Amino acid sequence: MTDGAETAVEVRGLSRTFGTFVAVDAIDLRIRKGEIFGFLGPNGAGKSTTIRMLCGLLMPTAGSGTVGGCDILTQSESIKKRIGYMSQKFSLYDDLTVEENIAFFGGVYQVAKAKKGTRKAWVLEMAGLAEERAALTRTLAKGFKQRLALGCAILHEPPLLFLDEPTSGVDPLSRRKFWSLIRELADGGTTIFVTTHYMEEADYCDRLALIYRGRIIAEGTPTELRQRHMKREILEIETDSTIGALEVLLASGIDCAVFGSTLHCTVEDAAASDRTIRRLLDTSAITVDRMERVMPSLEDVFVTLIEVS
Amino acid sequence: MMERIKYLAIKELIQTFRDRRRRILITISPLIQLFLFGYVAILDVNNVSTALLDLDKSQESRELARRFEGSGYFTITALPGSPEEMGHLLDRGAVLVAIQINRGFSRDIKKGVPAGLQVLVDGTDSNTALIAMGYVSTIVGIFSRDLPAPAGVTAEKAYFRTRVWYNPDLKSRNFFLPGVIALIIMLTCLMVTSMAIVREREVGTIEQLMVTPIRPLELVLAKMVPASVIGIAQMVLVTALGVLWFHVPIKGTFPFLFLCTGVYLLSVLGIGLFISTISKTQQQALMASFLFFQPAVLLSGFATPIENMPQVFQYITYASPLRYFLVIVRGVFLKGVGMEVLWPQVLALLVLGTAIFLLSAMRFKKRLA
Amino acid sequence: MGLLRIKAMAQKEWIQIRRDRLSLAMAFLLPVMLLLIYAYAITFDVNEILMVVYDQDKGSMSRELSAEFTRSDYFTLVASLDSYEQIDRYLDSDRARVALVIPVDFSKRIRTAKPTSAEVIVDGSNSNTATIALQYIAAIGEQFNRRQGLSPASPTIEVKNRVWYNPELKSRNFVIPGLIALIMSVIASVLTSLTVAREWDRGTMEQLISTPVKPVELVIGKLIPYFLIGFADTVLCVLISTFLLKVPLRGSVGLLFAVSAIFLVGGLSFGLLLSTVTKNQVLASQLGMLTSFLPSFLFSGFIFNISNMPVPLQAFTYTVSARYFVSVLKGIFLKGIGMRFMALEVALLSLYGAVVFLLACRKLRKRID
Repeated sequence: MTDGAETAVEVRGLSRTFGTFVAVDAIDLRIRKGEIFGFLGPNGAGKSTTIRMLCGLLMPTAGSGTVGGCDILTQSESIKKRIGYMSQKFSLYDDLTVEENIAFFGGVYQVAKAKKGTRKAWVLEMAGLAEERAALTRTLAKGFKQRLALGCAILHEPPLLFLDEPTSGVDPLSRRKFWSLIRELADGGTTIFVTTHYMEEADYCDRLALIYRGRIIAEGTPTELRQRHMKREILEIETDSTIGALEVLLASGIDCAVFGSTLHCTVEDAAASDRTIRRLLDTSAITVDRMERVMPSLEDVFVTLIEVS
Repeated sequence: MMERIKYLAIKELIQTFRDRRRRILITISPLIQLFLFGYVAILDVNNVSTALLDLDKSQESRELARRFEGSGYFTITALPGSPEEMGHLLDRGAVLVAIQINRGFSRDIKKGVPAGLQVLVDGTDSNTALIAMGYVSTIVGIFSRDLPAPAGVTAEKAYFRTRVWYNPDLKSRNFFLPGVIALIIMLTCLMVTSMAIVREREVGTIEQLMVTPIRPLELVLAKMVPASVIGIAQMVLVTALGVLWFHVPIKGTFPFLFLCTGVYLLSVLGIGLFISTISKTQQQALMASFLFFQPAVLLSGFATPIENMPQVFQYITYASPLRYFLVIVRGVFLKGVGMEVLWPQVLALLVLGTAIFLLSAMRFKKRLA
Repeated sequence: MGLLRIKAMAQKEWIQIRRDRLSLAMAFLLPVMLLLIYAYAITFDVNEILMVVYDQDKGSMSRELSAEFTRSDYFTLVASLDSYEQIDRYLDSDRARVALVIPVDFSKRIRTAKPTSAEVIVDGSNSNTATIALQYIAAIGEQFNRRQGLSPASPTIEVKNRVWYNPELKSRNFVIPGLIALIMSVIASVLTSLTVAREWDRGTMEQLISTPVKPVELVIGKLIPYFLIGFADTVLCVLISTFLLKVPLRGSVGLLFAVSAIFLVGGLSFGLLLSTVTKNQVLASQLGMLTSFLPSFLFSGFIFNISNMPVPLQAFTYTVSARYFVSVLKGIFLKGIGMRFMALEVALLSLYGAVVFLLACRKLRKRID
């Protein structure tokens, strides 16, 4: 049972149905060692179901593959020895202190006695909880809980890490800190599989898969996704009357949407459309403060892909 | 106000009966309790396993043995060969009673000298032991009276003519089953009422209701409707089954029973209301109902008479509505009496029920505010 | 098997229990409370029988007869009445349970050696106390005859009664050993029925099953702290029973605690099994209470004799583990017997414990579906 050279996870045709509902529909995945693989999709797309199948928590109804060299159909217990898992609810024991939680998971993962002390210190340091070690987990802010849960999941230094929506509900500063931790771990050789519904986190990943209604609708690096799937271009327009401009442009059949206090228009040719739009807005006495071409965000990509599928 | 109560009550009834699991529970649980108490809760002593050691082996001793066997109270399951063996049988719990007819039994009887019978009883079950010993002396007494009298006897002794009223067959079932009605109503009403109120609070809809013109009292009364309906339905069910299937006598009048059940409901619903004010979740309400129910039943005279309890406990039972209702229920079923005899109990129930209800209602209002 | 993992599980569980002050208090208060209430409330001793006398004779013999009743510890004279209507009223309203009617020529007939009788009316509603009362009455009759020197017209058979194990026939000695079994049943189930379900509800179970921990390690880890608490409860109950309630403990204390430990493992594993299978706290606790209390109360031979039940139910009692525990407890407390006579029960209890434990491990699947 060796880690086949480069591949940490490989699954083919992975499916899971619940009664008549197809949660995951024939997914193929190939994750390389040491990479951060992101699994993006809206709620209910099948992310959690997929990650649970990979961790051996749920039996696939079809498909096959290996995780960490172990067969997902027959060797789920062996898989559990080689992975760390952080469930969606950061499931730590609320009524235990930080230290007690660490001690517990350390015991469960059978961290070697010699290493126990250093690992514990590392987790406390990483989570920023060195001063709070005797605090009840219940009293911690979400960002701290998140990092503590991560720490508990990797006490045994597993080669693979599975994180299910680890940043949901956490403040942006903590989110950024978290991702830098992930990057550190990946640099150290850990393969990381993350699910999230925050599109902006996609750029933290080495490679992504976009999942919608149980199917993978796109796969690749963030840049590849942007380039490959966005055939059209985005013009960002700042005006003195956002809604007014929106109405005018929509009426003329131009595809646009509000984006913060600006408008994003999806067009075939940015240069040509630039002139058309300026003329339209001029006629309606709307001043254009700024109009420039911007890179499509992954959200744009995603929405486009969904519309296509 | 009646309008609002009506609509609230309808909502409550729908919610209560829509849940299939709850529907089943409501119908099954009284049936189960009824059958369990009808078939299992039997304190009557019959077919006691007995060992018989006949050291005399005479006509008389065999006749006596036959009397024991034929009485229905004793079943001779072992014929040990020695007193030691008898002892082992008792130790092992294979028999509860061991009878030894001594050698020379028949000779002594004919001589007019006291004949010897040794009876060993397993006193672990003191109740059965006591009653079994009594049956032994009764059987022996009848046996000796049937024997030809020895010569030269002058004085006749006095004896008792006993009459047993109300439950002439002395079946413990007739004692327990009417009481089961009281039990079932209490348990059901407590659980249904307290959980119904707490559910509203748990789910959060109580706040929704409180911003409408609905007044707390109306809400509470409406919540009690399903419990009352179910309670009365169960009472009818248990009564019917008890009378028709178990042949429990019902000598009193049904309307009176109905009336008293209504008054009893007042107390029970009040307690249910109180429980809802001390529980935050339905889970806690259920636990609290059960925890209250257990000792309340034990201390009510349901299984063991109140007059045999220590004084302190007897005083406590005065505050238990179950105590009075049990007297009423047994009076109606077994004694055939009505208001003219039971009015103190009905009055006590009324007073107690009103007090409990008012106190609980006040507490409920405070919790809401 | 990872001892380290078991240790980690047990430690975590212990910390959680310790932090939940309320539940911990309940775990110790509940058995004590139940023990005391049950012990005092359930008594089959029949004394303080309320009695009325309708003396039509008012002669010296009739006064003697009444005195015979009041002299005994069992009957308490409530009133002297002058009519049958009054008797009706007293018995109907539960103010008296026995009425003695002495006919007008009682004393005369006794002095002239003619057959004499007095009438005794007994309220049969509570058949158990009525049966016992009838026996007391018969005994009092005999005593009266003896005191007045009225010799019997029939041969005497002297019945020598010896009551084994519980010579004073104290019903408390009868009730309490079985009560301990009942309480331990309920406590064991209540303690563990929530633990797994609660982890599912909170989401920590999912985390746990993604680790290499094995089901058997999880079960053992969870059982250890609850076992310690349950065992402490048992010790507490035994101490209260022997020192406060004065129940004799004649057998081996070591054997008592050893068998209790075996029983506890079975009961705790059962609660754990429920928690695992239902995955829902509300359901688990309800089922836990129901399946531990009812069978232990009704089918274990705690109070109600198994031999009185219909045969199918008797067969059912063989599946109730409390039945064997009750029999062992009564044996050790009252009979003072040892393993020799209890080997079968102990073996069955061990078998039950092992089976339920294995089931609990099997059912704890490390998957979500």
